[in-house]
Amino acid sequence: MALASVCGFKLGNENSYFGLDVNGPMGVPTWDDALTISEKFTVPCDIDLQSGIYKAFTDDDSKVKIQFHHGTTTLAFRFKHGVIVAVDSRATAGPSIESQTVKKVIEINPYLLGTMAGGAADCMFWERVLARQCRIYELRNKERISVAAASKLLANIVYDYKGMGLSMGTMIVGWDKKGPGLYYVDSDGERLSGNLFSVGSGSVYAYGVLDSVYHWDLSEAEAYDLGRRAIYHATHRDAYSGGVVNLYHMKQTGWEKISQTDTTELHYQYQAEKEKAKK
Amino acid sequence: MAQLGQPLSDYQRPHQVHFSPYDFNGGTVLAIAGENYALIATDTRLSQGFSIHSRESPKTYSLSENTVLGCCGFHGDVLTLTKTLGARLQIFEKEHNKPMPTPSVAAMLSTILYYRRFFPYYTHNLVAGLDEEGKGCVYSFDPVGSYEREVYRAKGSASAMLQPLLDNQIGGKNQQGYVVQPMPLDRCIAVVKDVFTSAAERDIYTGDNILISVITKDGLKSEKFPLRKD
Amino acid sequence: MECLIGIQGKDFVLLATDTISARSVVAMKDDHDKMYKLSDKLLMAVCGEAGDNIQFSEYIAKNVQLYKMKNGYELSAHAAANFTRRNMAESLRSSRSHLVNLLIAGYDNEQGASLYFLDYLASLNKMPFAIHGYGSLFALSIMDKYYQKDLDLAGAKDLLMKCITEIQKRFIVNLGKFRLRVVDKDGIHDKGMISPEPVKAA
Repeated sequence: MALASVCGFKLGNENSYFGLDVNGPMGVPTWDDALTISEKFTVPCDIDLQSGIYKAFTDDDSKVKIQFHHGTTTLAFRFKHGVIVAVDSRATAGPSIESQTVKKVIEINPYLLGTMAGGAADCMFWERVLARQCRIYELRNKERISVAAASKLLANIVYDYKGMGLSMGTMIVGWDKKGPGLYYVDSDGERLSGNLFSVGSGSVYAYGVLDSVYHWDLSEAEAYDLGRRAIYHATHRDAYSGGVVNLYHMKQTGWEKISQTDTTELHYQYQAEKEKAKK
Repeated sequence: MAQLGQPLSDYQRPHQVHFSPYDFNGGTVLAIAGENYALIATDTRLSQGFSIHSRESPKTYSLSENTVLGCCGFHGDVLTLTKTLGARLQIFEKEHNKPMPTPSVAAMLSTILYYRRFFPYYTHNLVAGLDEEGKGCVYSFDPVGSYEREVYRAKGSASAMLQPLLDNQIGGKNQQGYVVQPMPLDRCIAVVKDVFTSAAERDIYTGDNILISVITKDGLKSEKFPLRKD
Repeated sequence: MECLIGIQGKDFVLLATDTISARSVVAMKDDHDKMYKLSDKLLMAVCGEAGDNIQFSEYIAKNVQLYKMKNGYELSAHAAANFTRRNMAESLRSSRSHLVNLLIAGYDNEQGASLYFLDYLASLNKMPFAIHGYGSLFALSIMDKYYQKDLDLAGAKDLLMKCITEIQKRFIVNLGKFRLRVVDKDGIHDKGMISPEPVKAA
C-alpha cells in the first residue's frame, strides 16, 4: 500500500473507469442523468432496500417476480483450422421459455466473437461495452486488439461489479497475431485460456460428447459436425437449452457463420444415422 | 419482572421497517409486426391485489408518430420509465429535427433499462413501430434490457395464455406443412380480439377493454373493443 | 478443493500446486498455472476465490516489480511477504475482501531460502513446510513424520511424492497433475509436472 500510494495508485475502484464509487459512475443519479446519455448505474441507497429488491428476484412467495432471461449451452474449441463456436438459442425466465431465437453468439467485430450464457442482458450489454473499447483500441493503436487483451478488458470490467449479482459466463474467441485465441471469462472475474470450453447448464452434456471425439487434427467438416452434435445432445438432456444450433468458424480471415440448424431436424437426422449404424 | 429467557428491553434489536419498493399492477400487452403495419394492443385494467383501481388505463404509450411502447408491471416504474423515455425522445427530436426511428428507440430503451441493473424497473416492455424500410417491427425486452426483434409477442400478466395461441395462429410453430404467410391487418385484428377475450375469461388482471393501436405509414390509428367487466 | 504445497530445503524452496481450474463441479482446465513470479527469486502460489486470485496476485506481483524499478534493488522474501500481508489485511477490512490463500517462496543472500504461509485472514507465518487446502488434512502428518531440516532436492521431492500419493489415495476429489517449481540462489526453476500413480484399492 505504501508503495502504491507513493505512486498515486489507490487500491480499490477509484482508478477504475467502470468502477463502483458512491460519488462516481454509480450511486443516486440525478434527474439530469436520466435525460442525457449518462453511464451512471442506479443502485439502491440502503441495505434494507437492497434486501427488498433481491427478495423480488429470489422469493417464490413474492407476487412481484422479476425474472431475467437466462441463456444456456454454449461451446467453443480450438483446432487445426481455427476455432469453432456453437451455441443453442433458447432463453428461459424461470420455467417458461421466453424465446427460441436468441442470438447467443455476439459479433464483437469481424475478428472477435463472444458467447452468451447466464444473464442475457448482462452478456449483451457488457460485450457491447467491450466492442466499443476494442474499437477505441483500434483507433488509438492502428492495429487490432489481441484476444488476450480483449478478454482481459472484459474480465477487469466485470470484476469491478463482483458480488453485485452479475451473471455471465462467456467465451471470447478471435484471431490475432498469435493465431486462433480462445478465452473463458465469467462474472466472478475468472479468465482462462484453453483449447476447449463449454459454458451453461447444458455444458456437462456437451463436454461428454466433445471430450470423446475432440482432437487437434479434426478436419473442418468433422469439427462442424462435432460442434452441432455436442449442442444437440445438450439440448436433448438439458431442459434450459433448445431451439436452433448456431455454428461459427473463426478463421485467419475473420469469423464466418457456418450454419443454423433446428435441433428437431438434427434429432431425426442423428436418429436415422443411429438406426442405419445398427443394421 | 422480566421473565427468565426473555431479553431485557434495553437489549432488544432496533425496530426494523420492511419496505418493498415494488408492486404488481397487472395488465397485458401484445404486439404483432405485419408486412407494412405494426399492431399493438393492451387491456385497460389497472389493479392491485384483488382490487381494481381503474378500468380506463391502457398500457400503451405512443412515443412518436410511428413508435408505440407497451409497458406493464409495476405502475410506478411504468410512469417513471415512460416519462424518461418521452423526455429523451423529445430532446432527440429537437436536436435532430426528426423523430427517433423505432429500432433506435429499442436500443435506447435497452440501455435505459440496463442502467437500472442493480435496482431494476419492474416493467415488461414491447416496442412496436415501423423500421427504416417501412416494415412493421416489434421488439420485446426483459426487465433489465435484453432485447430481440420478433414478429409477435405478448407480455404481462396473461402473456402465458396469449403467447401459445399466437405461436399456433401466427407462427405456425411445430405444425408440419404450415406455410407462414404475412397476415392481412383485418385478420390480425380479429385474432387479437379473440385471444384477449379468452384471456379476460381466465385472468383476473386482464379485462374491461382492449385498445388496439395500428401503426402504418399514414400514422397511428386506435380502436377500442370491450371485454368482460367483472 | 485446491492444493498448494511448499517445502523448504537446505538452500531452496520447493513449491507444488495442483493444476485444476474448477467451476462448480466442472474442471474447466487441467494445466492451470497457479504460481506467479514476483521477482527473480520470489515465487507465489495462489488459490481461492475465482477472480480474486488473479486480481490480487497480479497487483502484488506488479507492485513488487515496481519497487525494484524505483529503488534498483529487490524486496527480500521477508519484505515481500509482509507487503502482501499488509495488503491482505487492508482488503479484509474493506467492503469487499480478497478471499485468497498464498504461499510465498523466496531466496535472498542474507536469509537464504524461506517459505511463508499467508491465508485470506491475513495471518502470516514463516514455515519449514506448508500446505493450503484439504490436502493438508492428509499430508501434514506425513510432513511432520518425515520432514528434516536440511533436505536436499531429491529428499524434498521424495517427501512431496509421499504427500501427493496420499492425497490422491484418500481425498475424494481428483486434483490431477501437480506443477513443481524450485526457488534457489540461481532463481526460479521449472521442475515439470508430476502425476501420482493411479489409486490402488487398499
